[in-house]
Amino acid sequence: MKGKFKWSNLYLVFVFVLLYLPIFFLIVYSFNAGDVMQGWDGFSWKHYVELFVDTRILEIVVNTFLVALLSSLLASIIGTAGALFIYNQHNQLIKNIFLSLNNILLVSPDVIIGASFLILFTVIGFTLGFTSVLLSHIAFSIPIVVLMVLPRLQEMNPSLVTAAKDLGANNWQMLARVVLPVISPGILAGFFMAFTYSLDDFAVTFFVTGNGFSTLSVEIYSRARQGVSLEINALSAMMFLVSLLLVLVYYVISKRSSKGKKRAGTRLVMPATEGL
Amino acid sequence: MSEKQVPIIAFNQVDLSFGDTHVLNNIDLEIETGKFYTLLGPSGSGKSTILKLISGQLTADSGDILFEGKRVNNVPAEKRKVNTVFQNYALFPNMNVFDNVAFGPTLKGMNKTEIKNKVKSMLDLVKLGDFSERDIDELSGGQQQRVAIARALANDPEVLLLDEPLSALDYKLRKSMQYELREIQQRLGITFVFVTHDQEEALAMSDWIFVMNDGVIQQNGSPEDIYDEPINHFVADFIGESNIVDGIMKQDYVVHFVGKDFENVDAGMRTNERVEVVLRPEDLDLTTIENGKLIVTIEDQSFRGDYYEITAIDDDGNEWQVQATNSATMGARVGLTFDPEDIHIMRFNESEDDFDARLESYEDDDES
Repeated sequence: MKGKFKWSNLYLVFVFVLLYLPIFFLIVYSFNAGDVMQGWDGFSWKHYVELFVDTRILEIVVNTFLVALLSSLLASIIGTAGALFIYNQHNQLIKNIFLSLNNILLVSPDVIIGASFLILFTVIGFTLGFTSVLLSHIAFSIPIVVLMVLPRLQEMNPSLVTAAKDLGANNWQMLARVVLPVISPGILAGFFMAFTYSLDDFAVTFFVTGNGFSTLSVEIYSRARQGVSLEINALSAMMFLVSLLLVLVYYVISKRSSKGKKRAGTRLVMPATEGL
Repeated sequence: MSEKQVPIIAFNQVDLSFGDTHVLNNIDLEIETGKFYTLLGPSGSGKSTILKLISGQLTADSGDILFEGKRVNNVPAEKRKVNTVFQNYALFPNMNVFDNVAFGPTLKGMNKTEIKNKVKSMLDLVKLGDFSERDIDELSGGQQQRVAIARALANDPEVLLLDEPLSALDYKLRKSMQYELREIQQRLGITFVFVTHDQEEALAMSDWIFVMNDGVIQQNGSPEDIYDEPINHFVADFIGESNIVDGIMKQDYVVHFVGKDFENVDAGMRTNERVEVVLRPEDLDLTTIENGKLIVTIEDQSFRGDYYEITAIDDDGNEWQVQATNSATMGARVGLTFDPEDIHIMRFNESEDDFDARLESYEDDDES
């Protein structure tokens, strides 16, 4: 097998190069000594320095992460509760209605969600700003969490619940000690997904930011309209780095949670005790 | 059964339906402290449903379920003094062996040392003393089974319910677990209610068996009673191998089948009543034609390890299963012989109470 040329591998490499080329192009130019993306004038940290003295952008970065963290945290809690509700719903009709409503939110265009939130906030006279962005981010994150948690619940052996009750657990103890730990990988996946969705959301945020409050994607968009500054490239490069770190963190956590299974694999052969 | 003692569990005309399906029909039963009970029946007979009613997973439509004489129909599962060993073990995958077994004691608010001692003694009981730090998915099926038993027993239940706990194990492991469960039950002296579809398992382990079919208890009794005196066609067929033929009870102690009269030991029926006659394969012996009570032709035989299973056909076309230690010659005409007490007579539609009353009536006659 080794060293054998495969067309499928070449295709894979081609696709990935195509996918990552624009990002690398952007990152490379963030180190350009010149001020435009045409012509390489030599290496420089200049745009990064500009970025770190730009207090407005730093404030926006903090805001963006704060919104992402809070919205994904709250969405994880609400979404998990929602998934539990759908899972425990024995009436098939109600169950399907809730599932469909959940899925519709998931597939409906961000523009529509954003516009509808704008209309809602305007109608009830809610001031646009941090809270409106947070609320709308929570709203579009909940379906994502439900989607990640529900399969875990359905995979769970239903007799675990019966067993917990049989052993004397009340509803709360059963939930806290058995169900939540068992579905925790799903909750974690939902949290991370909601976090990344919130970080890079533009369409919904754009509608509900109002004056004075902004997130990165909205800020980058509005700056890019005034002409591309390489400071944006530097910022994008940083964001890309953060995404990479997030993926890495998620990988490590999910690896650790499945460690038990891995160990079982390596220690599978225990002939002396197998019959016990 | 002694009559003074209050049964630990009693069912009083319990009914249960799921939609249009009648799952349990007018169930009456009594379970005494310290014995090993088995609910035996094919799948869908309602045996696991009875277990779920005892544990509180299901609620009866009507009738009373009594625990030590008190009605518990509406007591939730977590408040009942019974624990269950589930068919698929249902061990908590997020906990190791120790935490699984400690689940019940922890909820009860025992302190750390008490919990530690409890878990240790339970794991020792099921011979998994060295496994407390293992994860669940590191265990074999048999080991998981043991943890499930230890976990249920750690709650000090007065009744342990076992829902087909051995069905997923291989034959040898199942055999050894049967002995061990029996031993654990006797050592702890608590009541076990065991559900199985395996009649061999039921006969080997139980003090008392309830044979179930179609949501009705067909017969209950000691393993010997049920094997030797099945009340109807279903029980005779389900418990062990049986030869069942139609016959006529000519008078007390004389039954007519396959064209001949035979002496037997049953009585108390109407003259010339139509009955079913049961002869167990192991009670039939091959012999010479002259000595045979029946003349048959050997049709088929298969080697079963400790015996030969022989199929023979008589001149009326009835099939006879015989278990013999020696092989037979295919196609040979031979005699079949049996003793009068090997013949068991079953009346059509006789209830358990009528059956018991009839037995007593003529057994008293014999003594007087």
